[in-house]
Amino acid sequence: MSGKGGVGKSTVTACLADGLTRLGVSTGVLDADLNGPCMARMMGVKDHKPSSQNGAMIAARNAYGVPVMSMDMFLPEDETPLVWEAPSQQGAYTWRSMVEMSALRELLSDTDWGDLDVLLIDLPPGAERFQNLADLLPDLTGAVVVSTASQTAMTVVSRSISMALNIAEVEVVGLVENMSTMVCPECGYKDRVFIGVETVEELARRHGVPYLGAIPFNVGLADFLETGRSYIEMHAEHPAAHAILEVAQRVHFWLKNQSK
Amino acid sequence: MALKSTHGPFDGSMSIVYECPTCSMQTAMLTNRAETQMVRSLGVKIGGRTAPEEPMETLRSNLASGQEVSPERPAPSTGGKCPFTGMVNDAIGAAESEPEKPVWTEGALARIEAIPGYIQPMVKRNVENFALEHGCFEIDEDVMDAVRGRLGI
Repeated sequence: MSGKGGVGKSTVTACLADGLTRLGVSTGVLDADLNGPCMARMMGVKDHKPSSQNGAMIAARNAYGVPVMSMDMFLPEDETPLVWEAPSQQGAYTWRSMVEMSALRELLSDTDWGDLDVLLIDLPPGAERFQNLADLLPDLTGAVVVSTASQTAMTVVSRSISMALNIAEVEVVGLVENMSTMVCPECGYKDRVFIGVETVEELARRHGVPYLGAIPFNVGLADFLETGRSYIEMHAEHPAAHAILEVAQRVHFWLKNQSK
Repeated sequence: MALKSTHGPFDGSMSIVYECPTCSMQTAMLTNRAETQMVRSLGVKIGGRTAPEEPMETLRSNLASGQEVSPERPAPSTGGKCPFTGMVNDAIGAAESEPEKPVWTEGALARIEAIPGYIQPMVKRNVENFALEHGCFEIDEDVMDAVRGRLGI
């Protein structure tokens, strides 16, 4: 979760799924962004057609067997917006959020996930989405928070962390800094993408939550993820691959401590 | 009070008329469109269900343009205990499962085909509802013109 849009939640979710799978953790991915679903594409299972078996919907599985469920799979075309059937769309604001929560509950509970150690849930922007999810899943293990070092993003993310800790009362696994630096492809010069008065690491410290690491900006990362292959495996030498694996290792370590 | 008749559903709401068996005084109840939709949004089968639940039933049956073409329909409410909710469910179910389909002329169909594919089913359904509400059993370009302002086609 983040609370802010455009910080790379979905990219980090896909990367984390990749990293945890590399570490031998059986991981699934649920796309909780019903109106802007992209996890099916980012996990390389965009063309999966939904079907059911034994009373459950079959999750799509990427090349590494990671099960994925997304609203994307139920919408016929890329241009199809999410519109709920009703005698009239007039006054839809009164019931739309209810049907979306019902849909999210079904995506979660009516999917045959197989045996999982971890289910990553990619949330849409908006701090209240996390609270809704926490209401739906009272046993939610923890929240991985994603931010860039943009001061605007960090202000929103700071509120989201407060919401998770104090209102939803869910543990925060840690804060991931995305798009932290940019490396010149010619000379290797590395520079920060955002510069502000507070760093993401300082933000994590201020809230007393772990700083899970910084993933550098990588032009080809999102496009590569759509192939459904492991970035960590295929680009093992790239700094982004190291960073993703480090973040995954810290999340894995946190989870292992939780289960003790 | 005895159930006398039902009217609708029209645009998501319907009325149910009760009559006193001794003095014939009638009382009508009107279902609220938004509230009815809100209850149905939660996956509640008004009047009870007789068929087993399908996976992701609420999601699939509520999508206006879904990957799966055949949405689940509410089961007949014969198993329901309340006559009021039973009648509401029967009437809404009947309206959804046995729609009175007007005939489309080629000109009207050509206009529908000119709009983006993903909203065609929804617009078509709205035009058909509009036509039926106005007693038209053939949808031609005049009907499309009449509905243009309302749907923004």
